[in-house]
Amino acid sequence: MTTAGAPKEREPLLVVNGLGAGYGGMPALRNVSLEVRRAEIVALVGSNGAGKTTLLRALSRVIPCTGTISFNNDDLVAKTPDEAFATGLVQVPEGRQLFDRMTVADNLLMGAYRRRDRAAVANDLDRMYTLFPRLGERRTQLAGSMSGGEQQMCAMARGLMARPQLLMIDEMSLGLAPVVVEQLMDVLVEIRKQDVTVLLVEQDIHLALSLADRGYVMDTGSIARSGAAKDLIDDPAVREAYLGLA
Amino acid sequence: MDLLAQVLINGVLLGGLYAVMALGLALVWGVLNIVNLAHGAFIMLGAYLAWHLYTYLGIDPFLGLPLTAIIMFCVGYALQRGLLNLVVRAPMFNTLLITFGLEVVLTYLAQLAFSADFRTINPPYAGNGIALGPLVVPLARLMAFGVAAVLTVGVWIFLLRTRLGRAIRATAQNLVAARLYGVEPRHLYAVTFGIGIGLAGAAGSLYGTVSQINPYIGATLTAKCFAISIIGGLDNPLGVLVGGLVLGLIESLTVLYVGATFGDVASFGILVLVLIVRPSGLLGKTA
Repeated sequence: MTTAGAPKEREPLLVVNGLGAGYGGMPALRNVSLEVRRAEIVALVGSNGAGKTTLLRALSRVIPCTGTISFNNDDLVAKTPDEAFATGLVQVPEGRQLFDRMTVADNLLMGAYRRRDRAAVANDLDRMYTLFPRLGERRTQLAGSMSGGEQQMCAMARGLMARPQLLMIDEMSLGLAPVVVEQLMDVLVEIRKQDVTVLLVEQDIHLALSLADRGYVMDTGSIARSGAAKDLIDDPAVREAYLGLA
Repeated sequence: MDLLAQVLINGVLLGGLYAVMALGLALVWGVLNIVNLAHGAFIMLGAYLAWHLYTYLGIDPFLGLPLTAIIMFCVGYALQRGLLNLVVRAPMFNTLLITFGLEVVLTYLAQLAFSADFRTINPPYAGNGIALGPLVVPLARLMAFGVAAVLTVGVWIFLLRTRLGRAIRATAQNLVAARLYGVEPRHLYAVTFGIGIGLAGAAGSLYGTVSQINPYIGATLTAKCFAISIIGGLDNPLGVLVGGLVLGLIESLTVLYVGATFGDVASFGILVLVLIVRPSGLLGKTA
């Protein structure tokens, strides 16, 4: 129990209470409550269509929602997507969404688009090349020409260039080889050490829970189970919820 | 032989001017997906602006060029912010209609304001040339070519190396991701369109020094800019430079060997050929 004890003492960074959201009158999220504490890795798992991406979109303030979202003791519900981003809530979108015909370096610099501290940005760029040596080797290559794993690294590094307080990664492992996913997981552990909090949104329940401190399991628009990742991983009810058998 | 060499010189110099004319059109097309049918009309307005600055204030068209470009940038920014942001992601047909309407309005406003008379900007050095043996390099055209080359390379460096240029490219490639990282598209679109119109203004100043201007030159110029953008591809400004040179040379050679009335036939013939053989432009990547 090395990780389970420590996060309890940490103060919460993101507190969501009774969140609801939907598309054109169809509710996609109902009464979702969750909490992410500083420097935690929290997994949000669930099958396709469980509402994970909708939750991310609500948090990023791209879609309207009801309930409360407190981030860094700031009320997010009243904010625009731009303002939410400015508070340090940064998303690495599903499918990576890189600027395919731009170089790796340009992609990373786009992550820092809103930052004016040029020296610190240059510094962070070097830090990314240390964190992801492959990106360093390919910094002048077009992002779209790299392998899927390298593209995911590029997307994560771009997110980190925004100096996030909370990095929300949507489907990091989708379509990647297990050996590549392992490298990415090592990086997540490394960036957590640098005090970045991570919300990992995954269909791969085992992968996400094996890495996270705590987890939330979503099923048809609400939270079905939550707790320490170690407990969830062995919980038969989680498997049922995940498989939609509940 | 001397005649051929002279025609080649003229063609290259004309091509440089063509390139800077098309640069703004290609930029706006590539980033905003708006084929601006009023682009030639903005070149016409830039030419009149330079003509007024020269005739009434005595400002040399080359020295007045930055002023013309800045004024036209402001016009472009305001137009995009107030009008064209309505059609940025709209179907192509809407953007064609609205920019066609703009071209008609601008042309007739110009006719009311400036009359239909032909004008030329004639600085004292207009007739001068540099002798190279039996050949003559016309000075005004050479200067226009120089400015055009500097502007083209300048835009290229701006897009490649600056924070704003990077954001413009990023928005063109992936709007969703650009928004995710804090790009404000409405402002960025307006800046892009402003740059496009500013370049049209600069091109107009240059055009006025080497050719006659009247309120109706816009439509033909738009068509040429369109052809150059297609030939060069929309991916980078150097493509436009190549497209401009190709068009300038072909027109000059056709006029020499086939006849003066066939210049446009040749340039649009090449356009069709490029569309058939290399649809993404001469420098474009074959997708």
